[in-house]
Amino acid sequence: MDEFQEILQDFLIESFELVEKLDEDLVELENNPEDLELLNGIFRVAHTVKGASSFLNFDVLTHLTHHMEDVLNKARHGDLIITPDIMDVVLESIDLMKALLETIRDTSADAGIDVAACVVRLDKISGGDGEVPAPAAVEAVEATPEPVVEEAAVAAEDEVDYDSMSPDDLEAEIEKLLQERQDEDKAKRQAKIDAGEEVLAAPPEPIEDEPAPAKADASPAPAPEPTPAPVPVAQAPAAKKEEPKAAAPTKRAPAAVEQTIRVDVKRLDHLMNLIGELVLAKNRLIKINDDVEERYEGEEFLEELNQVVSIVSLVTTDLQIAVMKTRMLPIGKVFNKFPRMIRDLSRELNKKIDLVLGGEDTELDKSIVEEIGDPLVHIIRNSCDHGVETPDIRLAQGKNETGTIGLKAYNEGNQIVIQIDDDGKGLDAVMLKDKSVEKGLITEKEADSMSDKEAFTLIFKPGFSTAAAVTSVSGRGVGMDVVKTNIEKLNGMIDIDSEIGVGTSMKLKIPLTLAIIQALLVGVQEEYYAIPLASVLETVRISKDEIYTVEGRSVMRLREEVLSLVHIGDIFEVERILDANEHAYVVVLGLGTSKLGLIVDTLVGQEEIVIKSLGDYLKGIEGVAGATIRGDGGVTLIVDVVALMSMARDVKSTALSEPSSAVVSHEKTKASDYTIMIVDDSKTDRTIMRKALEPIGITLVEASDGQEALNILKSGDYNFDAMLVDIEMPRMDGYTLATEIKKYNKYKNLPLIAVTSRTGKSDRMRGVESGMIEYITKPYSADYLSSVVQRNVNFKSEFL
Amino acid sequence: MSDQLKEVINQQNKQQNTDLNQLDDIVQLVGFVIGDEEYAIPILAIQEIIKPFSWTRVPQVPAYVLGVFNLRGAVIPLIDLRSKFGLQTKKQSDETRFIVMRHGDDVAGFVIDRLTMAIRLKKRDIGPAPDTVSGKDTIIEGVGKQADKIITILKVNKLLERDF
Repeated sequence: MDEFQEILQDFLIESFELVEKLDEDLVELENNPEDLELLNGIFRVAHTVKGASSFLNFDVLTHLTHHMEDVLNKARHGDLIITPDIMDVVLESIDLMKALLETIRDTSADAGIDVAACVVRLDKISGGDGEVPAPAAVEAVEATPEPVVEEAAVAAEDEVDYDSMSPDDLEAEIEKLLQERQDEDKAKRQAKIDAGEEVLAAPPEPIEDEPAPAKADASPAPAPEPTPAPVPVAQAPAAKKEEPKAAAPTKRAPAAVEQTIRVDVKRLDHLMNLIGELVLAKNRLIKINDDVEERYEGEEFLEELNQVVSIVSLVTTDLQIAVMKTRMLPIGKVFNKFPRMIRDLSRELNKKIDLVLGGEDTELDKSIVEEIGDPLVHIIRNSCDHGVETPDIRLAQGKNETGTIGLKAYNEGNQIVIQIDDDGKGLDAVMLKDKSVEKGLITEKEADSMSDKEAFTLIFKPGFSTAAAVTSVSGRGVGMDVVKTNIEKLNGMIDIDSEIGVGTSMKLKIPLTLAIIQALLVGVQEEYYAIPLASVLETVRISKDEIYTVEGRSVMRLREEVLSLVHIGDIFEVERILDANEHAYVVVLGLGTSKLGLIVDTLVGQEEIVIKSLGDYLKGIEGVAGATIRGDGGVTLIVDVVALMSMARDVKSTALSEPSSAVVSHEKTKASDYTIMIVDDSKTDRTIMRKALEPIGITLVEASDGQEALNILKSGDYNFDAMLVDIEMPRMDGYTLATEIKKYNKYKNLPLIAVTSRTGKSDRMRGVESGMIEYITKPYSADYLSSVVQRNVNFKSEFL
Repeated sequence: MSDQLKEVINQQNKQQNTDLNQLDDIVQLVGFVIGDEEYAIPILAIQEIIKPFSWTRVPQVPAYVLGVFNLRGAVIPLIDLRSKFGLQTKKQSDETRFIVMRHGDDVAGFVIDRLTMAIRLKKRDIGPAPDTVSGKDTIIEGVGKQADKIITILKVNKLLERDF
C-alpha cells in the first residue's frame, strides 16, 4: 500500500506540474493552430497522464485522457485544425482532467465525476473529422503505422488497457510506440524541410505563424551563399542542418530540465527559522562589538575582532539571501493561468482582449506566490469587465478593436512590483465619488476634499461596485475589497493610476519575503517599536509649536500638504513617565495613497528584523503585527501600519497635554522616614558618608554605580528625598545618572548632590547642566555633609 | 517455546503491568505560592522554571498579561498570576520565578511568588473542586489533600486559554 501511495504521490505531483503549463500552451495554440511543437507538448501531457493513470487503475481518468489524446493526435498530424469551438471542448476536458486529479489527490480514487458527455464531444471531433479524407500533405505520415493507432483511437470504445496486456502484447505496444515516435520525428523533419523550402522558394509570401525553426534555418542557408542561390543547393544544407534540429525537441527536453531535487517545504521553513536565529545573533554580535569598541578604544585586538564580526555579518547576510532564494518561485507560476482566464472571459463578455505577460521569471517567496493569485484574478477580471470596452465602442473611440491587458512583474529595490495595465475606459474620479456618496460609503464633505488619486482607492471599499449590473464576472462589490486586504496582509501596497479613456494602471508592491524585513526602530518613553520600513516615507524632526490642532486632531504642515498626526503613545497606551521633550520626530507613514504622521520620541535606527508571531494567546492585538528579538535579547513589537492607520482615526490626541504630575508628599513623622541614596563606587567613600549621616537617624541606601542607582530608583522600593552622587563611576557616571533621573517627571524635584574630588569649574558647570543642585568637594567634614543633606531634605529639627 | 520461558515472560508482563498501575496511581505536581495560598500544577505540564528577567509590555491586553519575553528565541506571553487571581501586585523578589507551562502548542510564562516543592500525591487523595467553584469554566482541577494542608491543583489548559 505504501509503495502504491508513493507512486501515487509522484504521479500527482508530476501531473499537476504538467497540467499547470497546459492551459497556457493551449491558449497559445489557439493563436497558432499549426504550431507542431506546442501540439506535441500538449499531446505528451495527455499521453503521460493517460499512461500513468492506466497503470494506477484510474479508469475514468484513463478514459478521458485517452479521448483527449485522440483529438490532439489528429490535430498534431494536421487532420484537424483547432478552431475556437474545438478548443472549448479540449479546454473543458482539461478542466475535467484537473478535477479528476484533484479528486484523486483527496480521495485516492477517481470516482464521482462524470466525463461521458465530454468524451462524446471529443469523439465527435476526432471521429467526425477523422472521416474526412486526409489532406494530401500528410500522406507520408498516414502511410506508416499511424493507422493502427488511429484505428484503435477511432474505435475507441475498447481502449488500450496497458495493465491488462500480457507481457508480449506490452512488448509489442512499446515497439509500436517507439516506431511511432521515430515516424513522428521523420515526419517532423519532412515537414520542416517543406517549410524551409517554401520560405526559400517563395520569399514574398508572409512568414508563417510558426517561423522560429524555419527562420533559423533559412538565415544560415543563404548566408554562406550570398549569390542567387539555386533552390536545390539551398535546400541541401537546409536539410542537413535539419538533422540535428529535428532531433532537438527530444534531446532538448532532458537538457532543459534543470538539475533539481524536491525538498519538503517544512525543511526549508526550518532552515529559514534557523537563519532567522542567526540574523538575530548577528545583530547582537554587532551590538556587542560596538560596546567593546567603545570601552577598549585603541586596543590592538579590536581590529581583529572587527574583522571577524564583519565577516560573520557578511556571510550571514549572504546565507540569508541564499536560503531565501531556495524558497523563491518564479511568478510565472501564477501568471500561467491568466491567458486561459482572459480567453474565457473575452468569449463570455464578447470582447476582444489580448494579454501581454512580462517578467514571468521574477521570483517571489513561495508563501507570497500562493497568496498573490486570488488578488490578481480579481484585478484582471475587473479590468476585463469594467476596464476594456466592447469592440464597437472601442472602434467608435478610435482605439484598436482588441483591448490589451498587460501583466508584468519586476524588482524595485527590496520589493517586487506587479503591474496590471489596461487600455480601457479608465476610472472616472467624479463618478467614483458620486457612487460612494450614494452608497453612503463616504460623506459629501469627504468627497469634496478628495484628490483624484484618493478617489481611485474608493474601489477598494467594501460594498463598492461601479458596474451597473451584477454579472457572473464581477459587480458584486466584494472583489477589490478582498484584493486590498490580501495585499495588505502581505505587507504590500497598491497604487492606482488612471486616465479616462486611456486606461488604468495598478501597481502592487510586495516585499520579497515575509520572514525578514527592514524596519525603522523608534522609541517612545522607555519602549521601542519597529515599523516596517516599506511603509515609511520619511522622517522629520519638529518642535512642539509646529503641531496644530484642528477639530480635536493634531496636524502639521509638511511642505505643501497637511499631515494628520497621531502620537504612538496614544495608540499603544504608553504610560508617560518621562518628561516630554521640546522636540519630537514624525515618522511619515504611507500606505497606498493615505498618509499619516506618527509622533515618536526618538529614532533609533534601521535594522533588519525577523518577524515572530505573538502566538495564539496574544494574537489579534490591534496595531501589532508581531514581535522581533533585538540584539540585546529583548523583545520589540512590530507595528501593523494598516491597523495603525485605521486606529489613528479614533484615537484622541493627548500627546501634547502635559501629564498631571501627582505630587505625593509623605508626611514625615520620624527621622527614619527620610531616605537618602548614596551612590559611590568606592566602599570607603560610602562608609564615610554613612558615618556622617547615621547620627541623624535617616534611612540610607547604597548603590555602587549609576546603573545600580537608577535601577533602585526605578524599582520604587524607596521614596528618596535626596541622592548623594559621586561623579566618576564605572558603567554610568554621575552626570549621566543625573541626566537620566531628570528625564522622569516624578524625580524632577529630587535633590541631587554631587560629592566628588573634581573641583574644576567646568566640572561644576557640567554638574549644574545635568541637574545637580549642590556640589560637595572631597574631602569634606562630616558636619558639613550632614548640614547640606538636612537643608536639602527639609529635615525637621525636632527629630534631632 | 518452552513452557518455562512462557512463564518467565508472563511473569515479566505482570510485573510491568503492576509497575504501570502503581505509576498511574501517583500524580507528580509542582507546588508554588501566590499570595497566601499554595497551588500546584502537574509536573509534566511544566516546560521549565526560570528566574525573572525583563519583558516587553503589550498594549490592549488585561493588566494580568504583563507582556512578552524572549525564551531562547521564542516570543512567549507572560502572565502575572497574582493579578489574574485578583490579588494586589507585588514587587518581584529573589524568590519570584517564571514557570513556563505548555499544553499542546500553547506556551506561556506565569509569574509566581515562590516555589515550594515537588509533590507526589496518590490519585485517591485528590478530591474534586468545591461545588461553588466547579463547572466548566473553573481553572481548578481538584484539591489535593496532604497530611497537614490542602493544595489547589490548577488546570493548565485553562490557564493557557485566552479569556479576553
